[in-house]
Amino acid sequence: MPQEQISSQESEREQTADQTAERREGGFSQQASSLDSLLDDIESTLETNAEEYVSSFVQKGGE
Amino acid sequence: MPQLRDSRDTGHRRAHAGAEHAHDFARIFGIETEYGVAVTGATKPVDPGQVAMTMFRPVVSRSRSTNTYLVNGSRLYLDVGSHPEYATAEAIRPMDALAQDLAGEHVMRRLAGEAQQRLREEHGGHARIHLFKNNVDSAGHSFGCHENYLLRRQVPLSAIEHELVPFLVTRQLFTGAGRFTADPGIPDGFEISQRAEFLDDAVSSSTTRSRPMVNTRDEPHADSDLFRRLHVIVGDSNRSQTATWMKMATTHLVLCVIEEAWLNGGVSAFAAMALADPGRAIRDVSRDRTGKTHIMLADGTTASTLDVQRRYHDLVSAFIDRHADDMDVILPDCDRVMTLWRQALDAVESGRWRDLAPWVDWAAKLRLIEGMRRREPTIPDARIRQIDLDYHDIVNGTVFDRLQTAGLMETLLSEESIAMAVDTPPADTRAALRGRFVRAALATDARWTCDWTHVTLNGPAHVEAELLDPFDPTPTTAYTTVIDALR
Repeated sequence: MPQEQISSQESEREQTADQTAERREGGFSQQASSLDSLLDDIESTLETNAEEYVSSFVQKGGE
Repeated sequence: MPQLRDSRDTGHRRAHAGAEHAHDFARIFGIETEYGVAVTGATKPVDPGQVAMTMFRPVVSRSRSTNTYLVNGSRLYLDVGSHPEYATAEAIRPMDALAQDLAGEHVMRRLAGEAQQRLREEHGGHARIHLFKNNVDSAGHSFGCHENYLLRRQVPLSAIEHELVPFLVTRQLFTGAGRFTADPGIPDGFEISQRAEFLDDAVSSSTTRSRPMVNTRDEPHADSDLFRRLHVIVGDSNRSQTATWMKMATTHLVLCVIEEAWLNGGVSAFAAMALADPGRAIRDVSRDRTGKTHIMLADGTTASTLDVQRRYHDLVSAFIDRHADDMDVILPDCDRVMTLWRQALDAVESGRWRDLAPWVDWAAKLRLIEGMRRREPTIPDARIRQIDLDYHDIVNGTVFDRLQTAGLMETLLSEESIAMAVDTPPADTRAALRGRFVRAALATDARWTCDWTHVTLNGPAHVEAELLDPFDPTPTTAYTTVIDALR
């Protein structure tokens, strides 16, 4: 059973890798307009109080 | 079962766990990520530390501890006053470690989501828990994403400092997650690494006195006669799947070259790039996205960030040529790794860093902010820092998910693969045994504990098994006894 899981995972990974490569070759003008509509989208969904959002994150104790 | 050493009986040697890998390039990979916690939108003040404890309540109730292991063999941990932490189960390929790391995000996200529901009962319907997979909070406190690599014992600590650290300092060009900051010392208010400002020495055995880039605490969780564990503290927490994969894959290749040299009795050619002052170099590299800043080498000469990376790339290429027949075992997809590595260096060198936005976190962030500044030249700093943080928020963040959905950020693994990694340990390492034990133990009323090298039943029976070989997924007699006791 574990062997089957590994090989189906691997072929899924290969498929995803191929699709990603295609997207990358897709061209820059496409990327630029995607970026613009993305920026519209982001602006409308971010919490309006940026200061409060940023200052809420204070945490010591890390390595 | 290791036999007692008997000096009179020369034919009877102690069996070393993992001995079959004592002289090859097989490696165990692990990533430990500390998450930052914040709350916004609550109707009354709430302490994020308390919130983190609340998040872990379901974990505590079933395992009686905030330090526990999961059915996928990974470790989930919360210390009082600390960051929730997830450490991936042992993997023998960077891609499998990536899957486990993403499984960790999934587990943390789920715990935070449930805690958020509970929080809203007392603190209003707009209360939000944020879990940041990053390395700095808004007050300049830093926390880590630590990589673990199993290394053959023949490699001395001096080799780590002289031959690996220059790579770790300069790999930021493609592994850096980027940081927007109001710190007046940082030109343009942006640097390519999150962690660079917060690290001191190159190598140290203490995590409390100063913060080193590589820690030499030597609990290898394996046979210490054969292996040591390299604990790399200098890395950024990456959101980009490709960046996480590349971070581990390239470091693995560099370690292979170092091991090959030391197994043959001497330093690798990387030693020529030993740095005079790693703490200074890492900051200089981080503040320059052209890769052209010169850093001082130990021999008194200087080299640019790109020079150093190119040299590492070339020496690794030569290693791959020498071992062409074995590379599919040493590192699957190594051709893709080398291509991406070279493309990253070429892009930085020619100023075309925007080409890297699909997989390098700092480039993705910077391109986004650049786009926002073009539309709104007076965009406030707070807004920029908000976007910087949102990019790393795995619970309520929108920026990163939208980049992925829009096809502007690469993914390597499907949602199905990640869901599988949440429930299933890697089948080809010790994690398989631990995961199976945890799953079996959770199905009973037994009191149990485990750690990286033991599975233990505390009640009703007391039975324990030591698992010393991280490469071995096959049950030992002692392990089988423990599993049988659970039935």
